[in-house]
Amino acid sequence: MILIVNTTTDRTITENLHAALEQNGFSDAGADAKKEQKNKKGNNVYEIVEAGESRISPCIGCNYCWLKTPGICSIRDDYEEILKKMVHADQLWVISGTALGFMDHKGKNIYDRILPLATMYLHFKGKQMRHYRRYKQKMDFGLIYSGEAEKAYLERWNGRAALNFESRSLGVFSKEEIKEAVTCMH
Amino acid sequence: MHALIINGSPRVKKYSNTDKILEKIISGMKDSGSTGELYEISDRKQWEEIREKFYHFDHILIALPLFVECIPGLLLEFLETLPVPAKDEFAGERKVTEGSETDSAFSKKPVLSFLLQSGFAEGCQLRCGEEYLSILSGKLGCEYGGTLVKGNNFGIRLVEEKDREKMVLPYQRMGQIYGEEGNFFSEECKKFTGPEQFPGWVRVMVGLMFKTFAKKSFDKAAKEWGCTKSLKDRPYET
Repeated sequence: MILIVNTTTDRTITENLHAALEQNGFSDAGADAKKEQKNKKGNNVYEIVEAGESRISPCIGCNYCWLKTPGICSIRDDYEEILKKMVHADQLWVISGTALGFMDHKGKNIYDRILPLATMYLHFKGKQMRHYRRYKQKMDFGLIYSGEAEKAYLERWNGRAALNFESRSLGVFSKEEIKEAVTCMH
Repeated sequence: MHALIINGSPRVKKYSNTDKILEKIISGMKDSGSTGELYEISDRKQWEEIREKFYHFDHILIALPLFVECIPGLLLEFLETLPVPAKDEFAGERKVTEGSETDSAFSKKPVLSFLLQSGFAEGCQLRCGEEYLSILSGKLGCEYGGTLVKGNNFGIRLVEEKDREKMVLPYQRMGQIYGEEGNFFSEECKKFTGPEQFPGWVRVMVGLMFKTFAKKSFDKAAKEWGCTKSLKDRPYET
């Protein structure tokens, strides 16, 4: 399942994505509840979450998701539903606005709040320390941004962020490069 | 030197590892005759005051924990609201009238330095975040004063008082250097990071420690926090 989280209020990006994905034979899990049940774990299913106006607080680093209520964030807001979907996703695409050369805080909050998907325990993976993944499911990371950004840096960042979950970067694309992004969705 | 010091951690001051580190940094700055004014990003009520003061300091230090390879969302949210002056708004040298600094425009560009700390121990884990901080200082219209990079700080909050003191004490010397030089460019600061990666035999030893001592201490901390589940629990698995 391809999970797409739009943290901007610009729906034209997701409308374009929706059209491009349908054209490529993907089906929208959110549009048909029956289909969702049937194809939840399939490769040709996507789901778009419009989170531009959702209530998603920043991570406060409390560590409860690692040490007090393993796997559950202490902040009970709209992020919880997204987190539950991530457990079944093969790909996570975040659509984010930009600020100060990077993604803006609304985009970054989606990644900061992802920590319940890791456990407190550590091991070496490759030559670096990593937290163990909580779930078996592996989720690759793609990023679509709207606005000015240091793209080369975002690419480096996305690759590093993916490493934390032993997954890979699917690439970083501006909203004008939707077609290129869709070629990486499979 | 009198610096604006910002704890960029979103965690409340009482439990903030960054705050414990900054206590030593400020103490070290005093050793070199410098002072600092400390603010906390975790307290939104302080944001307006920090915004007002930001561009009136010659030296600013932002200390932060690494959050998913870069800066925490809450700190980013604050920084997005800073009134970044246009280039020509900086008046050059600071003007002084009758012993006090003029209020006009913004003085010279502040030198913005960072202290980037993380739980992961190796230096290589923080380099991606460090690269952004050098980009960020430019975006905020500041001169870059370098970043003090140091990992292995996760335990500060969890350990006993005397072990905590041992963990944070080395930062005092870094504070002294910052107080003297106003940046973190010295070789001593660069070396403070420690190894970029652990050699193979250290990874084997540390890996063993993760499975034994570290696992036990995490389980113990969890129990003290009232955790009743396995730390590997999968609440959303269907």
